[in-house]
Amino acid sequence: MSGKRMDEIDVKILRMLQKDARTPFKEIADHCNVTIDTIKNRFIALKERGVIRGSTIVIDPKKMGLGNLVILGIRVVERYSDSVLNMIKKIPGLCVATKAIGKYDLEAIFLLNDIEQIGTTKEMIEDFPQVKSVDIGIFVDKPLLCPKNFEFDQVIL
Amino acid sequence: MKFDKIDNAIIKNLKVDARTSFREIARKLKVSPDTVSNRFGKLQKEGIIIDTTVVIDPSKIGYSFIARFGIKVKPAYSSQILDKIITISSIIVASKIVGVYDLVAVSVVKNFQHLCDLRETILEMPYVERVEIGMWVKTMELSPQYFLI
Repeated sequence: MSGKRMDEIDVKILRMLQKDARTPFKEIADHCNVTIDTIKNRFIALKERGVIRGSTIVIDPKKMGLGNLVILGIRVVERYSDSVLNMIKKIPGLCVATKAIGKYDLEAIFLLNDIEQIGTTKEMIEDFPQVKSVDIGIFVDKPLLCPKNFEFDQVIL
Repeated sequence: MKFDKIDNAIIKNLKVDARTSFREIARKLKVSPDTVSNRFGKLQKEGIIIDTTVVIDPSKIGYSFIARFGIKVKPAYSSQILDKIITISSIIVASKIVGVYDLVAVSVVKNFQHLCDLRETILEMPYVERVEIGMWVKTMELSPQYFLI
């Protein structure tokens, strides 16, 4: 934490790249009335500070033949959430798994091929002795993503 | 649509770094940059590549945790509500689901007040019947890559 505030240029860079990661630096530079080098340096600085972790494309998994996203809510025997979490992390297809506060003790999102694999994955988790119950939700259509919407004007770096 | 070597290489390269120049990909594949550019356009048009975006660390821009909202709605209104939810500025991903809830939304959250506000915003939408929250502990590993492979 350097205590340095993100300025207008940083915010513009982030916003424009969130909308389209391939936006040429020249375009951002023109938009901000600064030189391309300024934008380049700012971009590198944002990366070095870890604000920008990288850039990527968002793909429709179904069109790639990759199957369905499934969200699982898992309730476990008290004090066993860490050990169950570690076991879940080994199951193929996992996108994200986490401890949670709320109705469930653990929540996980998987990318699975078909109903059969969804069934076996659910059973696999239910078979852990410390698991009390597994609730399941299957994503319908393609999930809508809006990482581009993050608000970050107020931020202090 | 069938994918060939060029399509796969484009997807593979851009997944790791969306700013990779078409010239660089072209050189690796021994084709012209125009070929790569045209293929990229086609992949976008077919809806295979939905978007390109930078991955921002939410913890570096003022967010402190992630929450998952499970939403029950009046039958037949889920699409309409999904369209509204996706416009909320801190939501990362939202989808209709089959199972315990009708909709699921994952959001980055600044603080407890922000969480309450988000919950109320969703609850105030017409035809929303119930909103359940799961707060994710210690998970800040969030990038679109986790949601769409």
